[in-house]
Amino acid sequence: MSSQSQPANAAFPAPVQVAARPARSLWRDAFGRLLRNRLALASGLVILVLSVLALFAPLVSPHDPIKQNLFAIQRSPSWDHWLGTDFLGRDVLARLIYGARTSLSVGLFTQLVVLSIGLPLGAAAGYLSSRWDNALMRFTDVMYAFPDLLLIILLRAILGGSIYMVFLAIGLVAWVNIARLVRGQVLSQKSGEYVTAARALGASGPYILARHILPNALGPVIVATTFLIPRAIFAEAALSYIGIGVKPPTPSWGSMIQDGFGVIFAAPYLVLFPAIAIAVVMMAFTFLGDGLRDALDPRLRGAEGRFR
Amino acid sequence: MRNRLRWWSTLPVLALILTACGPKAEPAEQVVAQELRVNLAGEPQTLDPNRASWAGDLSVISQVFEGLLGFNQDLSIKAVGARDIPSVANNGISADGLTFTFKLRDGVKWSDGQPVTAQNYEYSIKRTLSPELAGEYSFLLMDINGAEAYNGSGAKSPAEQQQLRDAVGVKAVDNSTLQITLARQSFSFLQRMALWPAYPVRQDIIEKAGDQWTEPPTYIGNGPFKLTGWVHQDHLTLEPNPSYWGAKPKLSKIVLKIITDVNTELAAYKNGELEMSRVPPGTEKTILEDPVLSKEVLRYNELVTFAFQFNVTRPPFDNVKVRQAINTAIDREAFINQVRAGVGKAAYSWVPPGMPGHDPELGKQYAFNVARAKQVLAEAGYPDGKGLPPIKFQFADTAGNRVIAQFLQGQMKDNLGISIELDPMEPKAFQQTVNEEKHMWAWFGWGADYPDPDNWLPDIFGTGASINHTLYSNPKFDELKTRALAEPDPARRLDLWKQAHKLVIDDAPIATMNYRERFVLVKPYVKGLKTTSMDHQISGDLFLPGVSLEKH
Amino acid sequence: MLKYTIRRLLWMVPVLLAVTSVTFILMHLVPGGPWDREKTLPAQVVTNLNARYGLDLPLWHQYVRYLLNLLRGDLGVSYTFQDRNVTTILRQGLPVTATLGIVAFGWAMVLGISLGMAAALRRNSATDYFSVFFATMFASIPGFVLAIVLIIIFSVWLHLLPTSGWGSPKHLLMPALALGALPAALIARITRASVLEVLRQDYVRTAYAKGLMDRTIFYKHVLRNALIPVLSIAGPELAFLVTGSFIIEQVFSVPGIGRLFVQGVFARDYGLIMGSILFYTLIIALLNLVVDLAYAVVDPRIRYA
Repeated sequence: MSSQSQPANAAFPAPVQVAARPARSLWRDAFGRLLRNRLALASGLVILVLSVLALFAPLVSPHDPIKQNLFAIQRSPSWDHWLGTDFLGRDVLARLIYGARTSLSVGLFTQLVVLSIGLPLGAAAGYLSSRWDNALMRFTDVMYAFPDLLLIILLRAILGGSIYMVFLAIGLVAWVNIARLVRGQVLSQKSGEYVTAARALGASGPYILARHILPNALGPVIVATTFLIPRAIFAEAALSYIGIGVKPPTPSWGSMIQDGFGVIFAAPYLVLFPAIAIAVVMMAFTFLGDGLRDALDPRLRGAEGRFR
Repeated sequence: MRNRLRWWSTLPVLALILTACGPKAEPAEQVVAQELRVNLAGEPQTLDPNRASWAGDLSVISQVFEGLLGFNQDLSIKAVGARDIPSVANNGISADGLTFTFKLRDGVKWSDGQPVTAQNYEYSIKRTLSPELAGEYSFLLMDINGAEAYNGSGAKSPAEQQQLRDAVGVKAVDNSTLQITLARQSFSFLQRMALWPAYPVRQDIIEKAGDQWTEPPTYIGNGPFKLTGWVHQDHLTLEPNPSYWGAKPKLSKIVLKIITDVNTELAAYKNGELEMSRVPPGTEKTILEDPVLSKEVLRYNELVTFAFQFNVTRPPFDNVKVRQAINTAIDREAFINQVRAGVGKAAYSWVPPGMPGHDPELGKQYAFNVARAKQVLAEAGYPDGKGLPPIKFQFADTAGNRVIAQFLQGQMKDNLGISIELDPMEPKAFQQTVNEEKHMWAWFGWGADYPDPDNWLPDIFGTGASINHTLYSNPKFDELKTRALAEPDPARRLDLWKQAHKLVIDDAPIATMNYRERFVLVKPYVKGLKTTSMDHQISGDLFLPGVSLEKH
Repeated sequence: MLKYTIRRLLWMVPVLLAVTSVTFILMHLVPGGPWDREKTLPAQVVTNLNARYGLDLPLWHQYVRYLLNLLRGDLGVSYTFQDRNVTTILRQGLPVTATLGIVAFGWAMVLGISLGMAAALRRNSATDYFSVFFATMFASIPGFVLAIVLIIIFSVWLHLLPTSGWGSPKHLLMPALALGALPAALIARITRASVLEVLRQDYVRTAYAKGLMDRTIFYKHVLRNALIPVLSIAGPELAFLVTGSFIIEQVFSVPGIGRLFVQGVFARDYGLIMGSILFYTLIIALLNLVVDLAYAVVDPRIRYA
């Protein structure tokens, strides 16, 4: 923490004195700052712990997640079954732990797919000439209205329903939001003085984009991406009803909620616990995202913690 | 300055909270006397009797229309629009059993006051059979002479079509006499005449209003109620038909709401918006433990059977022993009593109780017995499931089917040591797979159109029959089937069906699972509800005129 | 600007054509047709149905016929709702869905933007954490669960509101609340991130250093620039809301058009699929145009040639 810290809730910072700073790479710099953000660090730990639990599920889980007990249907939480049992007498905690495998990987990988399509396309549309912009954006118009459900049913019929199809299906649909968001950001940033300056210095387009524009425009993009996590987890469950992704009896948080919804009057905890799990993950990614954004902020160099 | 800015930005939030807390909403309205509010659960597909097929459509149609014949509560036939049930004794059926003569009851009127005539019936039946209308339930009337030829004449010229239409064996002899000639003898024909495709409709109205004649001003029927309002996807309103010939309904209004989610339906019932409600599957136990709701439960059996159907041409299911072993390895009682909290009934045979031809003795060999199941599987050549090819189980992926599929998977694993792969599919894709017999093992159910084995056995288990997706083929069954369909003597006919039924159960092209039981909540002030095992969407919808509401 | 708008409107024709063509091809390619019923229909009935609805014609013929009818404003028939044609179905459901969508969008924008700004201006305050909590909660609860929880609270426990249906402001409250919750959460978070970003820009600091008053800075610089990403999100969200949500309309039995596409797909109701996709494309293209125009209004640096 810098000694010049302001009161915690300062809305407007005083102008920052530009400190003399060593020449470090942007990303290493950012990573260092990220590690010094306690909330972000804690969030990262939560995600790490959940991932480890998921990875070592067989060692951690108190029960077999698919073993049915027809004589213990929909039991409320108890000592034996900490989070109760479901409509086939299966242990909810065990299913939650195993379900993390599916849901965490869906939450993470779909974001990677979405970002790797949406970010470059959106940035290109915003930065390049209006002709390119128009072509790319009309394409996103088509994609927005695209009958995704039909395509997904068809893909399932042709390619089968592996888990990779989930990443593909969600990625295919969700990137347009990110693309339009990034484009809007780039449009508004590209006339900024610092861009003009960089251009005058002879910097190339991709360099300006990656080094100057995107770091300045990333905040909303990170937020939108964190919002994609629960959406992807639910979408996985919805897709499993078309036969894509993990099949029953393999658990996932989304399908646990979806199946529990039918008996919400009888066993509300079947919805509650997986919803809490998703909320925890989302919360962790939110703080991590916030931390990441702050860490990436080039104006914050050498002045970490100023606004904290 | 800074501070002011900070809270200024929260102003819109405050404004919103304030408006949200504004005028308090009033409690839900009290029930108006004699207004029954029930849930149709979905927008009708069509209210046209000649085209309808969905249970919700039929719940409406059976209030607004009635046919020559109808059903009693025990599902025996009664005369409604006809003076009496045709029989050989009253000269209603010719000696060869091929010509039926219906005498129309006097004084039966349409809701606009016009008399119902035999011509209305003739027009309606021919309209159902018309290739151009493409009525889905036209198959119910295919025993009529010339029906198949007319129904299949879609590609022919209008003149030829007209000729075939005129040749159909339905004729209004005079205003009050309808004569129907069959192409072949059929015992269950009279039952089928009690169903909606043979309800009368008005030629003058339909020709004027076209396909859209089913909206209130032109939707004219001859039943106890008339449709007075249809707010699409929201609700329909029925009020008594002033011209109705029979006993006047006690209700002054029926509101058929369209609540599409069953959880919401239950909430609406609890909030006093409905007099009747279904219960989400899996919630029954909680309802039965509730001190108030448990007293409002209405349960009754339906003529619906569910089963796992094997594709008997695909190994290992081409081996009858494998099918029998699986039949014995399913703990149906545990499923019904534990998972379904006692709702429904374990099924060991296909024809359900309450239906002529049901045999409680049948299928006893399939009572749950792990040791026996293992032994039969070993006899089939797969001791402990060793050597079995990979098995896939297909189902249309809905919440309910998901439970049954996972249950089956657990049973196979625990009791026979067989790992089966679940293959959930989008419903239409699943249906196509089954219709083309590309499935290996699939979940299916069957509900009665009319209460007779004619509707339950030949089309499903006959060699090459239209709904035979197990590809089961047994010449003995086919022979029994042919004889039963042509047998005029009721007792001998039922006996033939029983023999055929036994063949099917022994050969096990299916593993029957359960008979459906309806489990609904009815407010205690609803009186006179009469249910049957063939109710459509709404419980008691064959006898709504007798329902009344008490003070509450 | 006018020229740009006209060009964009003209561009909608190829976009519409592309989407409808792709939809038409896809819906005929997917396995299962409208007559694959749970209760298998007899072959003759299927033949008659195909003839009745022109499905026995070659695909290109069907498509050309559809386009020609479209030019006359005829969207064809529905197999799911046989007593009305698709044009009528859309016309009757649109006002319902649009009302619901606009109300939901309205409260989501008002709450989202104010909460987001409050959170950004008072970083790490109670308001900020509340906004994170609010956002996370509404993003982590699926719409159908939120809907039924609202019903249980307001109808079953408090008996304040009707569970479902349409026709009075009372019917509107819960669906609008449930529908707007996720957009509100998203907009709140985006606004917060965006305002923070803008607050750090040099020009804001310069303005502040010049001693300009807070409110002026806020209006002239912060608010305007912070709105860009909010607009990027708001356009598609509004399109989503006014074309309706399957889940919300299903749980609250709202007689709108939000369920038609999904219903159409699962019933292979070709008329319903095409009609709803056409309508959806139109709304999306229009609203994205509105957003692009709004960019230029909000941020004068953005210019369209």
